[in-house]
Amino acid sequence: MKRLLALAFISVLMATNTACGNLGGLGGPSVKIGLVTDVGGLNDKGFNSLANQGRLDAAKDFGVETSVTESKKQEDYVPNLTNYAQQNYDLVVGVGFLMTNSIWKVAKQFPNIKFALIDGAPANDKGDTENLPNVANLFFKEQEPGYVVGVIAAMMAKDKVGKATHNTVCSMGGIPIPSVDRWIAGYQDAVKTISPTTTILHGYSNDFVDQAKGKEVGLNHISKGCDILFQVAGGSGLGYIAAAKEKGVYAIGVDADQSDVAPGTVITSALKRVNKAVYDTVKAVKDKAYKAGDNFFSATNDGIGIGKVDAVVPANIKTAADQALTDIKSGKIKPKTEIQVKG
Amino acid sequence: MPIVSVLAALLAGAVLILISGSNPIRGYAALLRGAFGSPYNITETLVIAVPLTLAGISVAVAFRTGLFNIGAQGQLLVGALAAGWTGAQFPELPGILLLPLTLVSAVLAGGAWGAIAGWLKAARGVNEVITTIMQNYTVVFVMHWLLQNGPMTAPNAAGTPASSPIGAGAILPIIIPNEIVPLSRLHAGVVLAIAAVVVFWFLMWRTSLGYELRAVGLGARAAAQAGIDPRRRMVLVMFIAGGFAGLAGMIQVSGLFHRVFDGFSAGFGFDAIAVALLGKNSPVGITLAAVLFAAFARGGTIMQADAGVSSHLVEVVEATVLLVIAAEAIVRALAVRRGTPAEALA
Amino acid sequence: MELLIGAGVIAATLRLATPIAFAALGGVITERSGVTNIALEGCMLFGAFFGILAADKTGSAPLAVLIGLLAGTVLAAVHAVASVTWRADQIVTGMALNILALGVTSYLNYEIYGSGVPSGVPLLPALNLDFLAGVPFVGGVIGHQNVLVWLALVLVIVLQLYMFRTVAGLRLRAVGEHPRAADTVGIDVRRTRYWAVLASGGLAALGGVYLTVADTGSFTDGLTNGRGFIGLAAMIFGRWTPVGALVASLIFGYGDALSVSLQGVSIGDLRIPVQLLSTIPYLLTILAVAGFVGRSRPPAADGVPYESEGH
Repeated sequence: MKRLLALAFISVLMATNTACGNLGGLGGPSVKIGLVTDVGGLNDKGFNSLANQGRLDAAKDFGVETSVTESKKQEDYVPNLTNYAQQNYDLVVGVGFLMTNSIWKVAKQFPNIKFALIDGAPANDKGDTENLPNVANLFFKEQEPGYVVGVIAAMMAKDKVGKATHNTVCSMGGIPIPSVDRWIAGYQDAVKTISPTTTILHGYSNDFVDQAKGKEVGLNHISKGCDILFQVAGGSGLGYIAAAKEKGVYAIGVDADQSDVAPGTVITSALKRVNKAVYDTVKAVKDKAYKAGDNFFSATNDGIGIGKVDAVVPANIKTAADQALTDIKSGKIKPKTEIQVKG
Repeated sequence: MPIVSVLAALLAGAVLILISGSNPIRGYAALLRGAFGSPYNITETLVIAVPLTLAGISVAVAFRTGLFNIGAQGQLLVGALAAGWTGAQFPELPGILLLPLTLVSAVLAGGAWGAIAGWLKAARGVNEVITTIMQNYTVVFVMHWLLQNGPMTAPNAAGTPASSPIGAGAILPIIIPNEIVPLSRLHAGVVLAIAAVVVFWFLMWRTSLGYELRAVGLGARAAAQAGIDPRRRMVLVMFIAGGFAGLAGMIQVSGLFHRVFDGFSAGFGFDAIAVALLGKNSPVGITLAAVLFAAFARGGTIMQADAGVSSHLVEVVEATVLLVIAAEAIVRALAVRRGTPAEALA
Repeated sequence: MELLIGAGVIAATLRLATPIAFAALGGVITERSGVTNIALEGCMLFGAFFGILAADKTGSAPLAVLIGLLAGTVLAAVHAVASVTWRADQIVTGMALNILALGVTSYLNYEIYGSGVPSGVPLLPALNLDFLAGVPFVGGVIGHQNVLVWLALVLVIVLQLYMFRTVAGLRLRAVGEHPRAADTVGIDVRRTRYWAVLASGGLAALGGVYLTVADTGSFTDGLTNGRGFIGLAAMIFGRWTPVGALVASLIFGYGDALSVSLQGVSIGDLRIPVQLLSTIPYLLTILAVAGFVGRSRPPAADGVPYESEGH
């Protein structure tokens, strides 16, 4: 027994040494990128998984060394960011507005390490935003893709295209916070502008995981006449789409292109290209073009967009959506950021 | 021997890690390093162990009295909300007043929230398992409301569901200065946790109240022989249990975050159930079990960061280790002797 | 009124109660035999993931039900070995299995369905009772419920009869109430408990299968979202009887349905925040138990490992 223990102990010691040796690294000055997810984890089919996609794409295209850490608790953010910083990673990317204070704390301690934060800016201990010279804040104008898919929804409802016969469009958010509501605000703005007579309903699943809850909100909306359903609710949103599929009405995807989730049901998706933001930031670090402070991803730089448009959407509506995107780019249309019809 | 079965569990985990395409030796080395490999990592492990210990005590107090407190998570959050509110409400107060005030408000709030379950059981016979499960969810949604554009949302939150920061006086100081361990977040909460462990021990084994509670835990007959009405103790016990969990919440606010975030300190109250049972509901046992859990939590994330092991496989390894420890004779023997939790569940 | 007791709300109640009822039935069976199974949540998650995986890979929804059920049974088998044979602490074992189930399903979900469950997966159909179409209310409530909703209702009756009207059921209860006496009259305590634990895993897994293969056709990590624990509470609420467990699940499901149907409703100027609406099912459950159920007594040997005289 004792011998077994000793053996185990020695092998662990050896392993520790090997691992440390690896970390020392002998190769050339390769660029190292670390990604820290928020508590949603890599399977969130939302900003964490897209950020990871950007990391993997960058690894492939630039040959950079990358690593990812999933945070299990909010308590984990600081040590997870610190772990990469201590190992002299060239860029440490945090995902999500919940990390604003954590990234401020860590970035201040490691002024020579570059950081990037998806959906937020560093916030000091008072809670006030305090930009740092080594943190890039990657913001998205979610109201823009929301507006563009809203154009499609509004025109489908107004023209009573296909199964959209009740002149009613709906949306569901995960929780009522600005980064969710901005999508919906753009969506509602487009509907109010283009088709003022269309009824708008909005609700929340109060959750990002529970599909069954999302489906019930969807069924409830459909029973009130909704035939176009837009969701910003991660896993719960999949339930909302399932309701549309079951009842034979239309849904709109979010974050990534969700046309594959239910072809024929999902008529288009509002895209937030978090993958592009991560990819571009890695590229900038590699090219020594990294820019701290606010970096906006919007229609102007293809940071947002819309996904595949289903064949059920008539050509004139598709053209109108493309035009809306162009007008947003040129500044002719400025989608609202505040929700008008509340849940 | 527990060591043998734990090694067997780790070996099984190694095979899984190998199949998944990662290097198990690097993985376990990272686990160890992440948990204890540097002074900084040790302090981070302790930071996680503190709330686990306190929530573990919360669960254990109830178990010792024959009640199953699944509600430590909700009680922790209520304590955190109370601390966050108090700390932010009176920011000018000096620490000598504000810190105790914050602490007391959290303990009272967590305790009152716990006492509801005790009262419903005593007065209406409502099984505390039902009440505490339902209470956990209720707190989560109330917290969503308070912090997502609600009454407690900070005016400068900028989209983050968080409360205003607490006053400087409500902050628990860092006890290991950054000159010694750079970046250390280890706060005085660890001292409070140790004090709580001592209080728990003293209360349960050195006071007549503790004697009565343990008698209730051993069963109605034992309690009756000692002339105790178990029902009259339920409110008190659940108050005490909730108080310990509330203290855990206060420590997360005052020691770590200095405000309350939505979705904060997720899962501590549930892990605490396993912590309490693995620790045999004893003061020292709970402390050790909490450190073990914290080591897995911190080491596990580093296992993913530095050795590329999927965080989900880390969970599988952790669960396997937990299973074999649970099955060990030692735990079993004590499980029969104490008022078993399962009896309380029922 | 429509929002409170309309056919839409009651139909939603049935849907939302179904997964919880399955878990609660599992709980009833195993606790009646004297074994606590807090891993109902994990069994459910196994059923949910392996159910949808089977539906995808085999192209058959009925086969998916079977495989999902088996997956839950396999996880429960670990609980049975640990708690009946090794006499491990049943709560810790259950907690460990919940962590295990979350890890295994999330890992496989990432590896297999990194970009989502494909859309063509066959799902379990609704039972369309067209002859009810003209019947007000009833038609709207039960006219188009999924086959698994009906299975849950049927199982409640079957298990109620089994437990209180058959010899086998009497034996099961004897093992949970007084294992020593049961042993003396020749009932195999361990064997009975094994079967009960396995059955509990299978039943809870059906709840998971409902969520993925009947309700939505997709999977997200941890999508059961605590329903196994709600099922545990429903089991106690229902005083460890199948019918009681169903009633408890329905009350919870009704609260859950209200939290959706009342969204956006305002009373005068007062608009209840959506987050607070979500507390309805939990508060309603506490109120219902405090108001109507009161004290309930578990099986006497529940959670206590049994050691036969030979040890």
